[in-house]
Amino acid sequence: MSTVIAEQNVYGAQFSSMREHLPGSHWPWVERLRQKGMDDFLALGFPTTKLENWKYTNVAPLRRITFQPPIDQPLPPIRKLDSGQTRLVFVNGRFDPAFSTIDVRLNFHLRTIREALRDRKPASGIENHLGRYTRTSDHAFAAWNTAFFTDGAYIELPRGSVCEQPIHLVFIAAGNTEPWACHPRNLIVAGEGSQITFIEEFIGWNDSAHLTNIVTEIAAGPGAVLDYYKIEHESHQGFHVAVINAHLAKDASLTSHSISFGGSLVRNDLNVSLDGEGSHCTLNGLFVADGRRLIDNHTRIDHLRPHASSREIYKGVLAGNAEGVFNGAIAVHENARKADAVQYSKNLLLSTEAQINTKPQLEIRNNDVRCFHGATIGQIDTDAAFYLNSRGIAEHDAKGILIRGFAGEIIDTIRVPKVRGELEYQLNEWLRSVLEAS
Amino acid sequence: MMLRIRNLSASVDGKPILRGLELDVCAGEVHAIMGPNGSGKSTFAQVLAGRDTYHVVADELSFQGRDLRQMPPEIRAREGIFLAFQYPVEIPGVSNLYFLRAAVNAVRAHRGLPELDAVDFMSRARDEAKSLGMDDAMLKRSLNEGFSGGEKKRNEILQMKLLEPRLAILDESDSGLDIDALRIVADGINTMRSVDRAIIVVTHYQRLLNYVVPDRVHVLIGGRIIRSGSKELAMELEEKGYGWLEEQAAAERSEYKPGAKRKRDSAQPQENPQPSRKVS
Ligand SMILES: Nc1ncnc2c1ncn2[C@@H]1O[C@H](COP(=O)(O)OP(=O)(O)OP(=O)(O)O)[C@@H](O)[C@H]1O
Ligand SMILES: [Mg+2]
Repeated sequence: MSTVIAEQNVYGAQFSSMREHLPGSHWPWVERLRQKGMDDFLALGFPTTKLENWKYTNVAPLRRITFQPPIDQPLPPIRKLDSGQTRLVFVNGRFDPAFSTIDVRLNFHLRTIREALRDRKPASGIENHLGRYTRTSDHAFAAWNTAFFTDGAYIELPRGSVCEQPIHLVFIAAGNTEPWACHPRNLIVAGEGSQITFIEEFIGWNDSAHLTNIVTEIAAGPGAVLDYYKIEHESHQGFHVAVINAHLAKDASLTSHSISFGGSLVRNDLNVSLDGEGSHCTLNGLFVADGRRLIDNHTRIDHLRPHASSREIYKGVLAGNAEGVFNGAIAVHENARKADAVQYSKNLLLSTEAQINTKPQLEIRNNDVRCFHGATIGQIDTDAAFYLNSRGIAEHDAKGILIRGFAGEIIDTIRVPKVRGELEYQLNEWLRSVLEAS
Repeated sequence: MMLRIRNLSASVDGKPILRGLELDVCAGEVHAIMGPNGSGKSTFAQVLAGRDTYHVVADELSFQGRDLRQMPPEIRAREGIFLAFQYPVEIPGVSNLYFLRAAVNAVRAHRGLPELDAVDFMSRARDEAKSLGMDDAMLKRSLNEGFSGGEKKRNEILQMKLLEPRLAILDESDSGLDIDALRIVADGINTMRSVDRAIIVVTHYQRLLNYVVPDRVHVLIGGRIIRSGSKELAMELEEKGYGWLEEQAAAERSEYKPGAKRKRDSAQPQENPQPSRKVS
């Protein structure tokens, strides 16, 4: 295919000229990892809608653009979400120490990937974990990231350590230059019985085309408790592709909140391996889109061991000509006795043109399971709207209240008050613009 | 005259429900509307509140001298019409307190009053809720979600008390209440009685009317008020049921043509002998 050849030329050439400047190039294992990523990326090419996993998400707009490596940009002052004392800020994929703060009292490793790979003797964790949870042979974007990743956060919690404050990772896209792509990479390794809350926030401060192509790997040791937030707010021209791979050992627990506000095309792949007895994940998602934007959430939960449980609820609010996709795979493997999985997809369409494609995908390979899924697609409930109108609340305000109520089921479960407050604010802003336009 | 209705018809999908209903209500009065299931009582109440599901035709439908027909429901509410729903809607994710404050402030803004801040409002809402035997937890819960039947009805009365309407229409606010709850709700209604406010109670039961004594009682059958009288009429209905009136209604229905002007008959409510009071 000619497009693949074009990609090979452009990104292959970029890789050749950049590879020795990329972090960790002096480590043979990093070199091998990157080379494998590049080979897989070139072999796969960009996905087409012929692939089941990309059926509703056409990345052609992204394929037509030749993305350059990002250039450094000076930043306006940070005013966004400020959730805790510790914050790592990455601008166009590069760590920005001026905007970052690290609480010196932290009792664990918190470094950038670049820094961690610079050491002569890397912390034993990084070599054991980086790339281990991410298959590049079947996901072109994950492969692309693996070849090109520039920086990100490396968090390693020793056994039993409890991080009281949320760790805030901010990824800012800035600068109106030629289209550029950045490939941040995060790795969180939580030792046995450790606990952490971390937030990935993506902010678009530009209005030119760019791609944020991120991979986050999470390894939760036995009994580790992780509270993970991903807040995506790319600008209107931004493309955002994220692959999050979490691996949970015995009794580990992951709570994820993935909140997407848009960008022109957003794709999240959240994969959780419940690879320990009694492990648990809660996956909550909220995505809102208007205009011609597309937000695609693919989640996959693999129940690999007995007594693992998963709870999942994703909610979409789509206005204008926006499109949403939810594809929730739950695989219960042979050994996963007493698997307990519940999945909901609930969607609210605010216009007749807005669309949602929602699909549960259950692969159940033993019969000692409890598995439930349900999907709903609806409009604003006219009875509820009338009830509010009859109390003096005007039509737009009534809609706003009902939509906030719908989203509240997700937002209210956010345990970090500053994050919750910020999301309520952002949702209100979004609603104001959408309801005024309608 | 606070509410003046002439030849009101309402239909849904071409199916007539109200057929030439006539009613006058003055400030200071309490009217009871009774009638068998499916006779159109709730439809009438919803039409007054501005529900647009119904296709409405009338020679006159005015409230405080203003035509209601073009007035959207939220403006009716701000002008002072309140409907306590027979089946209050459950709204998940919206806290009762938040909703109540949004409603009260919308109405206050329309009346040129400043917004109540969260603290002032909270203490008012708490006091009123307490007088209705509702605990604070109900204010914090999602609006009507998982409320018992009785809790929903009390919550409607709470809204009425906070919104201070000019015309309150209470659609079966007594249904499903035990005797203690009924007394609390009835007391709530009675505290709202005043010279510049009118109340319409829709009910199936005389027992509410023992507490909330009406000035007029109307019987609604087949989409029309076919009999009006004093509070004794309610007792007569309790004794005899609706059968004797239904026959009469059936006979009239066969003559009825939607939209046509009809001659007034004995079943129409009489004009109130008192001069209508202007409401400030
Ligand atoms: N939106 C609607 N769509 C279809 N039919 C309706 C609608 N609203 C009311 N009706 C019908 O109109 C008739 C009158 O209904 P309404 O609810 O007004 O009766 P009601 O007098 O309040 O009865 P009840 O005493 O049982 O509360 C019923 O036959 C009902 O099914
Ligand atoms: Mg009714």
